[in-house]
Amino acid sequence: MSLPLYYFLAITAVYILMTWALYLPYRVAHLHFIVVANMAISGYFGGYAAINWNWPFLLILAVGLILGAVVAFIVSIAIGDAPTFAVVIVGFTFIYITKTVIENWEALGSTMGMFGIPMVNHVLLVAYLFVLVTGFFIYRFDNSRLGRAASAIFVNRELATSFGVNTKHLGMFLQTWAGAIGGATGVLYAFIMNSLFPDFFTFHIIGITMTMLFLGGYTTMWGPLLAAPVLWGLPLLLPQEVASWKMIIYGVLLIVILLVRPEGAITRQVAARVRSIVLRR
Amino acid sequence: MEIFIAQIINGISLGSIYVLLVTGFNLLLLVAMIIHFSFPIVVVLSMYVSWIVLGLTGNNIFLGVIAGIVSAILINIITAPMFQHIMKKRGDVDINSTMVLSMGIGMIITDFLSHSVNSGFPIAFPDNLTGRNLGAFFQIGMISISRGDMISLSMGIVFVLGLFWILYKTRAGRAFRAIAEDPAGAKLVGIPILKTGLQSYAMTGVLGGVSAVSIAILLGSASPGLGDQLGHKVLAVSIIAGLGNLKGGLIIGILLGILEALVQGYWSGTWSNSIAFVVMLLAILIKPKGIFGIKL
Repeated sequence: MSLPLYYFLAITAVYILMTWALYLPYRVAHLHFIVVANMAISGYFGGYAAINWNWPFLLILAVGLILGAVVAFIVSIAIGDAPTFAVVIVGFTFIYITKTVIENWEALGSTMGMFGIPMVNHVLLVAYLFVLVTGFFIYRFDNSRLGRAASAIFVNRELATSFGVNTKHLGMFLQTWAGAIGGATGVLYAFIMNSLFPDFFTFHIIGITMTMLFLGGYTTMWGPLLAAPVLWGLPLLLPQEVASWKMIIYGVLLIVILLVRPEGAITRQVAARVRSIVLRR
Repeated sequence: MEIFIAQIINGISLGSIYVLLVTGFNLLLLVAMIIHFSFPIVVVLSMYVSWIVLGLTGNNIFLGVIAGIVSAILINIITAPMFQHIMKKRGDVDINSTMVLSMGIGMIITDFLSHSVNSGFPIAFPDNLTGRNLGAFFQIGMISISRGDMISLSMGIVFVLGLFWILYKTRAGRAFRAIAEDPAGAKLVGIPILKTGLQSYAMTGVLGGVSAVSIAILLGSASPGLGDQLGHKVLAVSIIAGLGNLKGGLIIGILLGILEALVQGYWSGTWSNSIAFVVMLLAILIKPKGIFGIKL
């Protein structure tokens, strides 16, 4: 496999996972940007463990996933059913604090970044296996009672509560799950790139994943699956002069989709229509 | 003790800017019902417009200041129809979408500034605007307050007082607050909702322009990333105070300014910024609905 194709596929997997990590808490109307901090924490932990302790990749992946879940769970105790804007600002604050700690910690490479994370065989295979497993569980969740409860919370939190839905517990569950995905994705990213830079874990990745979520469609899991390869791949095909403006392109696409088609490209109706066509065949 | 007093004065100066920004943010939230997360990014864009005009006119302060204020008003008015479009009917507003739309606007502005103005490098404002060439306004021992700091502080105090006077003592201010309290009732008594909403965009534009000039004087420089930092702090101040709580925003804005100045005074280095963030994080985690209560 050529190197550009390898990186396209690998980073596409990273973006699919990160967009799903945003998608899950957004099922209850929470824009949970803390997953970017989870990605950074577990990614740097993974890099450090591989370089200094020679831990095997799969062990690091498992610990990174658990680390992401634990951090997200602790925070979710406070913001499991907080208003969306409070969840957003907690996410941003966490990212700033994480970035400041990394930039001031020499063992993590400070502002220069962390280099020398060992190359691992089959990391691409592991990444797509993780995408498959995560996608399977999200699909099961979306088609379960809990998934319908999450949809009810999104539409009307008070009404959902009156029907007996525990908004706090469901919010905590989804935030913790998203944190676990963010943590594991951080480890995968570290082993794909073999280096980490604190500047990656900022508004940049938030902007990209948020555009993928809203452009693809936030009402089904299929939206991010479609939007991630398209939005990540598109700038790679454009001339360098145009591709360097990709954040502006993403911003314009985000605004246009919100104005023209607020639920994104793949809505529940579109997904149902595709499913019925596929089943008929 | 001298450091403490000097940092308190610096903190009030910084806090007055936060108050201007938070009040503009809250005004849009209460009257136009949008979470304009990128309002401070618009302010930073106005700083850049002001810097460009200063450069073109041989540092003409008057034109630079006017350009900053007019550009902020124009940007706010131009983006208003987009926010209005994605809002559902009044009283049942999709606030989340307005926040995401605002973030999209912020992404475009920040990336545009990173690419196009001064090759993405930070910009520095001329000394005749910042007052650095005029020396200290007064100096007692270690306490040294520059003329720029004093101008920025005076502007902040005058405009904050003026704004609160408009909000609480004038007919237009009563209309703003009436819509915030009860949109349906305000419509019933004949307050024009759309016109008042547009006035709130224009008024926050003025506040944004004044804030841009004030920040330029106080900091003396700007960078594309400044808007993101300010946006984050403004939303945090608003949440800690209680979203839409104007008086709460006034108190918390000043307190955050003082906290930041004290931390920078006693704890140098890049860690100092994170202290304020940790305090903000704890405050939000403990009281996610704000200390003074949400006024929505």
